[in-house]
Amino acid sequence: MPIRFNDTKLGSLYTNFEAQKRTNPNLKLGQDQVLQLVALVGDGNRGWSSTKVANELKKPGMTRDQQIALVKGGMTANEKKDLAAILDQGSVPLEPSARQFLEAVLDRSAPQPPPPPPPGTDGLKISGDQKNGLSGTTKAGATIEAINISTAPGGRLRMDDTAIIGKADANGQFNMAKLTGDQAMREGDLIRMRARYADGSTSDWLTVKATGLANKDTNNATVALFRIGLTDAGGGKVSVSNINASRQVSEPGAQLEFTNKRTGEKARVTITESGGFPDTFKLNGKPGDSFSVAASDGTNNTSFTETVGNVTVPGGAPANTDLIPDPALHADELDSAGKPRFSKVNFTGPLFVDGAKPEDVQQGQIGNCYFPAAIAAIAKQNPDVINKMVKDNGDGTYTVTFKQKDWSSGRFKDVPVKVDGDLWARSYGGPLYGRSSNSSDPKKMELWYPLVEKAYAQWKGSYNEIGNGGHASDVFEAVVGKDGQDMYISSGNLDRVFETIKRSIDNKQPVAAGTYHDERYANTGVYGDHAYSILGYEQTGTEKYVIIRNPWGESEPSGNGANDGIFKLKLQEFGKLYQNLMYTN
Amino acid sequence: MAKPPEPIEEVMPNAAWVVEAEVKEVLSTGPTPPPPPNAKPGATSVGWKAASQTVKLTITNVLKGEKAAELIVEKPVGSYSLKPGNKGPFLIDASKTILGRYGPDSWNLDRVKGAMK
Repeated sequence: MPIRFNDTKLGSLYTNFEAQKRTNPNLKLGQDQVLQLVALVGDGNRGWSSTKVANELKKPGMTRDQQIALVKGGMTANEKKDLAAILDQGSVPLEPSARQFLEAVLDRSAPQPPPPPPPGTDGLKISGDQKNGLSGTTKAGATIEAINISTAPGGRLRMDDTAIIGKADANGQFNMAKLTGDQAMREGDLIRMRARYADGSTSDWLTVKATGLANKDTNNATVALFRIGLTDAGGGKVSVSNINASRQVSEPGAQLEFTNKRTGEKARVTITESGGFPDTFKLNGKPGDSFSVAASDGTNNTSFTETVGNVTVPGGAPANTDLIPDPALHADELDSAGKPRFSKVNFTGPLFVDGAKPEDVQQGQIGNCYFPAAIAAIAKQNPDVINKMVKDNGDGTYTVTFKQKDWSSGRFKDVPVKVDGDLWARSYGGPLYGRSSNSSDPKKMELWYPLVEKAYAQWKGSYNEIGNGGHASDVFEAVVGKDGQDMYISSGNLDRVFETIKRSIDNKQPVAAGTYHDERYANTGVYGDHAYSILGYEQTGTEKYVIIRNPWGESEPSGNGANDGIFKLKLQEFGKLYQNLMYTN
Repeated sequence: MAKPPEPIEEVMPNAAWVVEAEVKEVLSTGPTPPPPPNAKPGATSVGWKAASQTVKLTITNVLKGEKAAELIVEKPVGSYSLKPGNKGPFLIDASKTILGRYGPDSWNLDRVKGAMK
């Protein structure tokens, strides 16, 4: 016989569970479902919403006794009858711990904590604290595998990328087993471990919270912001997912709080056992909304006041006030409906750190290699030109002044372009296009190069206008204000090419070179259809060398030291791989 | 066009095989793609593309995927072409297509191994 509920919301939720049981006869209500039920009965006497009660019940650090007291404090007599009916007449079975919880709420029994899983029944038992490492028992001769799933989200490890930390002796004992390096145990860390037996089979996983290592757990949950994917789910909802489900967003049980920076609305979620988000978790928001993220492991940052960064829902207008309309995305970054697949993030880092340098310039995912190659060449030969062309207006805007030739007078005139710090960015905040050092942190990235590139796109119309190829010599003209020149390179004019490079460098004038559009480049370390900065030259006896930089800031022929994109080629080799030289008069 | 290689973290999840290999033979080459429209002489990043190829790889080390001594794989239309003797780390998807904008020159071996951890 169906239960006649006094509380309609409670009745509706329980009816939903009954429906689920019809499709899943093995369904049992566990602690999560029971907390959903009692959240509906803990609201009445206080005037709280059930959402508020639910949030309070799941608050980090909330003990079982506190949960029970909270529910009892808000429960009416009729709601108490409803819970009793669920216990006594409900058609959906309750797991033992869930039943005990409800009985405690109804004062039928003293609150009992859920029985801990019997130690060692899964083949692995841990004893004592972890002051001297992990100690315990398992089958004789078994190896002990473990991973620190509190530190793992910050790296590339999967939850089963374990390290062997010890071996059980003939009595099945293992002692002082330790993880090392980035995984070294700290107070409060969660250590996931298992035993691997001689026949290759393994015990069940066992997760241990490390204790005895310090007086206090001061290490909050690590959050891999770059694995948090937000997508517009329609209807004012935003889906939240782990974009690399084989790795963790954070440690299981940690809570993340998302705050919509447009509306101020907050929502919390508990990280699942697999280190991701529950499938049903959604935020209220729309494309373009930016959310700050705060984390708590239940011990640290329990007020969620310290945030770990921001994530943004792709598409739409940015949530912040747009000081100046921004240049549109390149066509490659639009979806089939012509809408942006990326959002903008406001970057507020320093304009310059120690002035302009070639290594500040890193090409983004856009076909404008001629631009960063030219700008890095200028930064090498005459950084003052760049230091003076970009001005911080002090109001969140910057003025970048280009040069344009007036063909009637033959003179170059100034073209000031005003931009703000909004840059098209990936969901975790790194710029999509040109970037500089510290690019993943909007508050730290050196801004001058991305802003010069943005201003160039603004001047020319959009990133699409500058992102389909071009000439470095055109950029030299637009920045230095001198006529650009092109020289084709062949085996017959290498001496003249070298003399031109030498003269330009000696006169602090920028030089760049372009490669051929053909198939000669595989395994050379040089890339076709690409522009490079010429940073210098060397001459040793009769041997001449050209010093070159890839504007990607990496990828170069082997044998050239650190992979920073800077390398040296003999002039003859340079002549085989490069098609044209670009410089100024 | 000379964009940088894609972030390897975005490509690696699609790799069914990660191998160190050498091109043994180019078995076939697809039609030559049209030249980039309106490409000015001497310009770079104009979007030049090489034809697709079917190539046989001799595998020297399997870092991920089923062990194999040779694989016949597809090099899609793109910014590079392969010839016998070219070698390096190859990321290959389940349809046996080489991943990465520049094939074996997209990322060095250390970067590939780092992304697999």
